[in-house]
Amino acid sequence: MANTACFIIVSRNDIPIYEAEVGSAMKKEEAAQQHQFILHAALDIVEDLAWTTSAMFLKAVDKFNDLVVSVYVTAGHTRFMLLHDSRNEDGIKSFFQEVQELYIKILLNPLYLPGSRITSSHFDTKVRALARKYL
Amino acid sequence: MEYYPEELRTPPISLVSVVGCPELHQTISSFLHAEQPPINTLALPDFSKISVLARKHKDPLASPQPVAGILKRDWLMKHRTRVAAAVAALFRADYVTGDPAQWLQVCTDLENLKAAVHGRSIRLIVILVQTNESEDVSEDLKIALRKRAEIDTKYLITFLQNDASELRQSLTRLASIFAELCNTYYREEGRRIRTRIEKRTFNSVELNIRYCFKVAVYAEFRRDWAEALRFYEEAYRALREMIATSTRLPPVQRLVEIKAVAEQLHFKTSTLLLHGGKVVEAIAWFNKHIASYRQLVGSTKNSFLHWDWLSRQFLVFAELLETSTVAIPSTLPSHFGTSENPLTEWEVQPAYYYQLAASYLREKRYCLDSSLSMTDSASANTLGKNPESVLPSVFVGQSARLLEQGDTIEVLPLSDAEYINYAITEAQRFQDSYEIIALFKKAYESFNSLKAPRLASHCSTRMAKEYFIAEDFNNAKLHFDGVSSLYRQEGWVTLLWESLGYLRECSRRFGSVKDFIEYSLEMASLPIFSAGEVETPNSKREYGPAGLPTLSRRESVQNEVFGLLRGENILPLTDGGCSLIITEEQPVRVDVDVISPLRMALLACVAFHDQSVKPGSPTMMTLSLLSQLPCPVEVDRLEIEFNQPKCNFIIVNAVKDLSTAQLDMDSQDVRVENAPSLILPTNKWLRLTYEVKSGQSGKLECLSITAKIGKSFMICCQAESPASMEELPFWKFEDQVETFPTKDPGLTYSGLKVIQVEEPEPQVDLILGASSPALVGETFVVPLTIKSNGHEVYSGELKINLVDARGGGLLMSPREAEPFSSGNHHVELLSISGTGVEDESQTQFDNIRKIQQSFGVVSVPVLRVGDSWSCKLEIKWHRPKSVMLYASLGYSPNSTEAASQRVNIHRSLQIEGKIPISISHCFMMPFRREPLLLSKVKSLPGIEQKVSLALNETSVLIVTAQNCSEVPLRVISLSIRSDGDEDSRACSVQHVGGIPADNAPLVPGEEFKGIFSVTSKVDSPNLEVGSVCLVWKRDLKLGDFEDSGVVTEQKLPSVIVEQPPLIVSFDCPPHAILGVPFLFHIRIHNQTNLLQEIKYSLGDCQSFVFSGPHDNAGFVLPKSEYIMSYKIVPLCSGLQQLPQVSITSVRYSAALNPSAAAATIFVYPSEPEFIVGAKKQETILV
Repeated sequence: MANTACFIIVSRNDIPIYEAEVGSAMKKEEAAQQHQFILHAALDIVEDLAWTTSAMFLKAVDKFNDLVVSVYVTAGHTRFMLLHDSRNEDGIKSFFQEVQELYIKILLNPLYLPGSRITSSHFDTKVRALARKYL
Repeated sequence: MEYYPEELRTPPISLVSVVGCPELHQTISSFLHAEQPPINTLALPDFSKISVLARKHKDPLASPQPVAGILKRDWLMKHRTRVAAAVAALFRADYVTGDPAQWLQVCTDLENLKAAVHGRSIRLIVILVQTNESEDVSEDLKIALRKRAEIDTKYLITFLQNDASELRQSLTRLASIFAELCNTYYREEGRRIRTRIEKRTFNSVELNIRYCFKVAVYAEFRRDWAEALRFYEEAYRALREMIATSTRLPPVQRLVEIKAVAEQLHFKTSTLLLHGGKVVEAIAWFNKHIASYRQLVGSTKNSFLHWDWLSRQFLVFAELLETSTVAIPSTLPSHFGTSENPLTEWEVQPAYYYQLAASYLREKRYCLDSSLSMTDSASANTLGKNPESVLPSVFVGQSARLLEQGDTIEVLPLSDAEYINYAITEAQRFQDSYEIIALFKKAYESFNSLKAPRLASHCSTRMAKEYFIAEDFNNAKLHFDGVSSLYRQEGWVTLLWESLGYLRECSRRFGSVKDFIEYSLEMASLPIFSAGEVETPNSKREYGPAGLPTLSRRESVQNEVFGLLRGENILPLTDGGCSLIITEEQPVRVDVDVISPLRMALLACVAFHDQSVKPGSPTMMTLSLLSQLPCPVEVDRLEIEFNQPKCNFIIVNAVKDLSTAQLDMDSQDVRVENAPSLILPTNKWLRLTYEVKSGQSGKLECLSITAKIGKSFMICCQAESPASMEELPFWKFEDQVETFPTKDPGLTYSGLKVIQVEEPEPQVDLILGASSPALVGETFVVPLTIKSNGHEVYSGELKINLVDARGGGLLMSPREAEPFSSGNHHVELLSISGTGVEDESQTQFDNIRKIQQSFGVVSVPVLRVGDSWSCKLEIKWHRPKSVMLYASLGYSPNSTEAASQRVNIHRSLQIEGKIPISISHCFMMPFRREPLLLSKVKSLPGIEQKVSLALNETSVLIVTAQNCSEVPLRVISLSIRSDGDEDSRACSVQHVGGIPADNAPLVPGEEFKGIFSVTSKVDSPNLEVGSVCLVWKRDLKLGDFEDSGVVTEQKLPSVIVEQPPLIVSFDCPPHAILGVPFLFHIRIHNQTNLLQEIKYSLGDCQSFVFSGPHDNAGFVLPKSEYIMSYKIVPLCSGLQQLPQVSITSVRYSAALNPSAAAATIFVYPSEPEFIVGAKKQETILV
């Protein structure tokens, strides 16, 4: 499992709708803000990149020291962004794909307003489990 | 890059030396410098100075010293400025050819020069300088000179000083020889050192690195970039291996030296790569460089050295990228992050490195601060002792201490502790903050121009933090404001939290209470729910003044700010800032509009239950307040403001009666309502419903709701309509129940903060009096009465409008171009005549009177209650048309009220315009007289034909006027008016009878006939007879229209007048008596100059017997009369048809038959006895 990993889902109107520190590092809340700054800045790169390829998984789009930002863009232009220090690309891809399944289930919920914050604890638990499994 | 010495930054340039003839040096050196590639010249004016070229003498017996360092600091400098690759000795030709002493001097100089360059492979050139061609040096001398100098022929050059072209030639030759010699020299030197590397004649890594470096530099001298790169990389690789193995120096300084050398080697490599256009390789190389050295932090105490170094790497690389002449390839493979292209798009941008350099510099500053605080007390004294005597030593990356003991100066190595102290002192001299800000600013501007606002804002945030640390709060606030608006817009709550924390702190430093409250309220109302965690000491650095984004922190922020609002004092921070307090003298007011982020803190929404209301009658409105602050908010007082200030009211928290008492004192005319409690729980609407009464018509809009908390704080929210209310963008969660601002969901979707107050009911009557249809041509009068029965009328204005009832609006049609006396309008408003008070305000009345053909405005005088005013609208119809008459009266019931308080009253009336009288006519010939009219004979049936009249004969014109309206009329006169003088002579029309004496009444449907005799005197195919002129009036008992008759004119069609050739007249008595014979004559009058043959016949009939021929023919002489006489005896009584007469004119083939009426006679059974007066009898006989 990665030491540091910050996972965030950004809605199509650039608002973060889910955020989780999924790293195994002990002081996980510590750098959350720093991580968000990096992820937010990486949105610019994603904006440029997302339209140049048909692939959903954009792999590593940005680096900050030894931290890498990997991005997965869904068809609805929701962006899954992961800030991580591990280099396990396949694992990250699987992680993203499974999270998308979860996200679609959230979207299917008639009470969920697309673009609003995801507060489901079930979703949170599942995402953290996936992070443990793949990252 | 400015840290690096000049010689490192620029590519090496070959160096040659010239000795002797100083007057030529300027020419030679400038020429060589301008060559491509350039050559630098070391000019020695005379041979006494040649010792600089000499090699430093080494004691061959001294034992080889251990290697003290990797690279010598001045080696590169030396080779660029002192060690020439070739030496040219200049001799004047006259010296060589002169006396033996001079020749001897030349030889000695040459010998000395040879001795000086001995040991180095410096090549020698001899130049003979001739002033002009005449002083040629003999070949023998040249050979001798060459032998002395031990050089080839081609290295002996002759210079012709005074001939420009020759001199240029010589210079070119010299330059090429120099270039060749330099190349040889540097190749030789390089090869010499390379053999050492290959043979491994040394056993230290340092030497290996040094030799590699030298080989690379020599390769650079001769522009062999590939080899230079290879050896720089080799040196770099060797250096990397040294890290763990070298023990020569104390550990800290060892690392410092290695990093310094690595930096130099890396710089060289990157420069070469970038100049070769290999941007991607250069970046990859840089990433490798950083990756291999980033972990070498060293001990905590001196880690700042590492971060400083790392930051410099980024900075230098950024500058290299920026100044690199090679443009950044625009066609980089689009997909980054793949194995074949591991770069991201931003890695080719210098800004990316600038911001990283700044980040590491921040790290350095932080480490330096912590080192300082650690060593603060312990080494205060040692620092003081630390002298300036520490100097950079001869080796790159090393330092040494200079010790002066009397005259001798000794250089001593330093211990690590001393070195660190020295480094700390050095580092303290720099203002890192400015550097960091400058770097971030550069990156920020660059990212902004690259249209990457988020990357730019990341830089901006860090820049602002740096400003904050440097206590430049103005700039910090400026930048934080910028980024927080982006984060707010994109909803990155955590980042917004942090920015706001800084902003809040800035406002505290400024002592700005309002800002402090605003930022605090916004922070406290952000949707952050994470459970509180204990702040670790380190987190202060990570999170800034805002602290961890947790729910408990939000609560504490709210408590702090509400404490301030309730009058508590926020004490200044220990390290500066002002004390914040709100006083009653300086109340604070915060405004919240629809786009303010503080809507989260307080959202006010107002809905009227109705859409419109009668003036003065009450209506309900619901006021809803919502707050997302984590703790419940208690409001002391709510002030609701409307656009009609009379409606404003105040809601007072009943619990706080203290403020109520105070309130009553200052505002007595404002309505005060009590509410049991005004507590706003988190995310729950507080709904208050009150009654509002507006006496003023128009729009009643709730403008704002001001919540007063504490004695001197107000938050003023712009009121919003629930129907058009924007949701709070941050507070939209799937698990949050959607709440409505009003209890009734329908009102939530349709409720508005505006209500329409209707106009007051008009208490004035407007009466339009006309009822009957209007008649075309007459001036139709519509009486209009304004009667006040409740309102007084001030500044009244009456508008009259005539509109076509069938629509279309216009009362004229351009197609019907027939001109009217008053334009093309079919219906026309002639005038509005006022009565009553008109006389008093005549002048004013006329001022605003304005009448057009279908529109009129008049002012209405002031009317008291019970007064009335009337006027008459005079409308004239030119065509039958149905018209809507609209009359609207606008007035203000009060003389003082503003114009908005006008009351309007509208009335309309449809008026039909009708034709009153239809006129028809017919022409007749005199009884039993038939002229032969040829135009009638020739006319074809079916084609409309003009009426033909006989010339000089009197015809009868009967004009019939029928009343086709529904009102009784009176005919005043009926006449035929001839149109022109000429026609009046041609045709005389005389009134014969049929018109009653005066003002004959004409009931609806009745006909009226006028008889005229028409005698035409001119033979004309188109004779205008004239127009029928009928003057009539309504049969009204009222005296209004006594004098005015309406003239209806109708033009009679033109007629044909012609000379009849024959006129037949029948002559018989007016009546007959049964059995009594009478004479019947038929006269045929020939009016022509021709003989007219006629045939005639008389048919048998049952009622009569007659004597005379049945058929006959005859001739009528010109201008004479032919008479046929029959004696007829009636056999039956009653109205009988005479025997059928048929007369035919042979010439014209026309029959001249009498009409049926003419051939009828009444037969009495016996002699009648008329009992009539003499006068009457006459009439009948006529």
